[in-house]
Amino acid sequence: MADMIKGNVAIAEAAVRAGVQFYAGYPITPSTEIMEYLSGRLPELGRSFVQAESEVSGINMVMGAAACGFRALTASSGPGISLKQEGISCISDEELACVVINVVRYGNGLGTLYSSQCDYFRETRGGGNGDYRCIVLTPESIQEAVDLMAPAFELAEKYRIVTVFMTEGALGQMMEPCVLPDFIEPERHSWALNGKYTYKKIGIFDRNSMTEAVALNEKHALIKENEQRWESGHVEDADYVFVAYGLPGRSVKGAVKELRKEGHKVGFIRPITTWPFPENGFKEVNQNVKGFITVEASATGQLVDDVALTAKRVFRERNVPAWSLCCVYGVPSLKFTKDGFARIMNNELKEAY
Amino acid sequence: MAKERKVPALIDNPMSFCAGCGHGIVIRLVAECIEELNQQDNIIFPIGVGCSSLLGGGMVADRLHCPHGRAASVATGMKRVTPDTTIITYQGDGDAYNIGISESLNAAYRNENITVITINNTNFGMTGGQMSWTSLPDQKTTTSPKGRDSGATGLPFRFPEMVAGQFDVAYAARGTVTSPKNVNKLKKYIKNGLEAQINGEGYSIIEVLSPCPTNWGLNPVKAMEQIEEQLIPYYPLGVFKNRKEKQDA
Amino acid sequence: MREILYAGFGGQGVLTSGLVMSQVAVFKGQKATWMPSYGSAMRGGTANCTVKYGNDTIYNPGQEEPDLLLAMNGPSYQAFAGMVKLGGIIVINSDIISGELDVREDITLHRVACSTLANEIDQPRGANIIMAAAVIKLLNDFSLEDGIHGMNDMFEKKGKQKFEAGNTKSFECGYNAV
Repeated sequence: MADMIKGNVAIAEAAVRAGVQFYAGYPITPSTEIMEYLSGRLPELGRSFVQAESEVSGINMVMGAAACGFRALTASSGPGISLKQEGISCISDEELACVVINVVRYGNGLGTLYSSQCDYFRETRGGGNGDYRCIVLTPESIQEAVDLMAPAFELAEKYRIVTVFMTEGALGQMMEPCVLPDFIEPERHSWALNGKYTYKKIGIFDRNSMTEAVALNEKHALIKENEQRWESGHVEDADYVFVAYGLPGRSVKGAVKELRKEGHKVGFIRPITTWPFPENGFKEVNQNVKGFITVEASATGQLVDDVALTAKRVFRERNVPAWSLCCVYGVPSLKFTKDGFARIMNNELKEAY
Repeated sequence: MAKERKVPALIDNPMSFCAGCGHGIVIRLVAECIEELNQQDNIIFPIGVGCSSLLGGGMVADRLHCPHGRAASVATGMKRVTPDTTIITYQGDGDAYNIGISESLNAAYRNENITVITINNTNFGMTGGQMSWTSLPDQKTTTSPKGRDSGATGLPFRFPEMVAGQFDVAYAARGTVTSPKNVNKLKKYIKNGLEAQINGEGYSIIEVLSPCPTNWGLNPVKAMEQIEEQLIPYYPLGVFKNRKEKQDA
Repeated sequence: MREILYAGFGGQGVLTSGLVMSQVAVFKGQKATWMPSYGSAMRGGTANCTVKYGNDTIYNPGQEEPDLLLAMNGPSYQAFAGMVKLGGIIVINSDIISGELDVREDITLHRVACSTLANEIDQPRGANIIMAAAVIKLLNDFSLEDGIHGMNDMFEKKGKQKFEAGNTKSFECGYNAV
């Protein structure tokens, strides 16, 4: 029997079991339990934990540990992740592997402490300066989160890329039962710095950006081809397909179930990777679908852009409209989604695209 | 027959420093010390941004170009996961003391078991000679064209003395490259810093007063004189925190 | 599926009351979620959590329409009483919330003097367990034994088994108080 466990704590323990050797970070609500837990747990196992003086320093410590070929982790929330962008961009540029957890909270600047999905654009577009992407995982439950932790590192290492583990304040703070994954003991990467001149590339000099650009595009194409993850339901005959991820994605599944019972032909796609975006999930949708509807915890609607762009690629011969139901923060209730659907049916809500 | 010039094993390429620059001398000393301590297959350099970046181009050693100012943090991550590897940050004063003052101070504060080598040439060399926190009062730079106004910009500060006085570090010293005697002393400082790390004693910092003829607008000889006449009076040479075993001896 | 809202001052133990409920449900093989208010609300202000449990998938762990509200203080009652489902239940801490209350006609109100009861059984810190037990009794999904087993199992796993006798006493007291 599984016991109730807090999301942040479960995720931290899953990271330990995935073989995390090093953690550095700075406290910020609603992510702090991750570092609090690891501050005791990692030393207990002979691994390293550093409370850094800032998020900037923390991500750079992670860069150092990652360069040496060990599984390294940091966690933060919106404003703290902003500070980490310098390091994330550099880690991406050096093609090192690490995992960054963003327990998203709502708002710009310091914002608020509310659970949210407002960092969608930042995380799915790379986030820092330059021309790179991070693989972005967006779990809907504590169980899915702990099950995705080892894959988060495996993906990062397979492609030598940063994996952003994007949860939400509510997922970090809530409790539900989960079964924790088994312990694994990853090997140190063969390409890592070990003091014996293993790593020939250096900094900004002697580089050929044209050659690197080709390799970068090839890598991104490979990730898009192989690593899309999503869950979907009732899309084959759906007139309208909801698209939502994380806790809103989970809530939308409940709303779809109720709407189906009420006779509406609706389905859902729940992206588990938001980059690469699960375009393949859209290819399974009814060719005569009348529209896509995102449900998202932001004010402006961000996911809807990716949905519209994907619809444009998949349904080339016609424009399939895309609506966005934005609850700003928190987890949208089933009623929120159903009411929004009713407004769309009554032509009370204009499509975004 | 011309005598073959001995080059340390770690150095494989000419580095592109300006004529009369001090970096080359310091790098040679670091490479010699590494060899003498038998660390040539056990060394990682987290490298700063600025002229110090050029270290990367000519060394047969693991190096990582760090974000500007963050070398001490990168070094921390490296050292924590590979405690038996020797980690040396190589930075300039702009990198370590301006943009990276927080990372530098905090690594010293934790007494992180790393060695920090800071080349202090009292300006930002790579970007063309802007004012640094170590620029002397009235020093002309491209961002203090009338001379540094300390009333408005602050007084230059002495990092090794600061960490030696305030934090529990293992070793802190300042040397220079103006004469064979000073070069030999500097080499001793660097070796002490590395030995402190290898013995697990903690944080070591060696600051080097180094000439920047290009941005100072002086020829190489005059630049060396400038260090003797202007810099050393403000930035005294010597050991500010000695290793415990050395004090006991 | 059941939805319960536990609300009070920070320090009154409402988060633990809710956790006991959720763990009892899990102990009995049901699904459960526990969602707290967090952040600045944790310090000094109000604290609340929503617990949902049942045999079906819990799609939204967040607050929607509680079947039952536990209000440990006046502000919690004022803030949340209006959200309770039609025909729902409200349990109030009558040691703190006294006097006439404006109660909706469809609501069943229970007054439990949990602090007084806790002192009477010599468990001064047991008020929140008393309330947790009262809620479990009123929802009528789990027996007294299930409740005590689930609760004790939870505290044991937290390394707090030394409070087991006291907690059991408080639980029985609360269960019998409504």
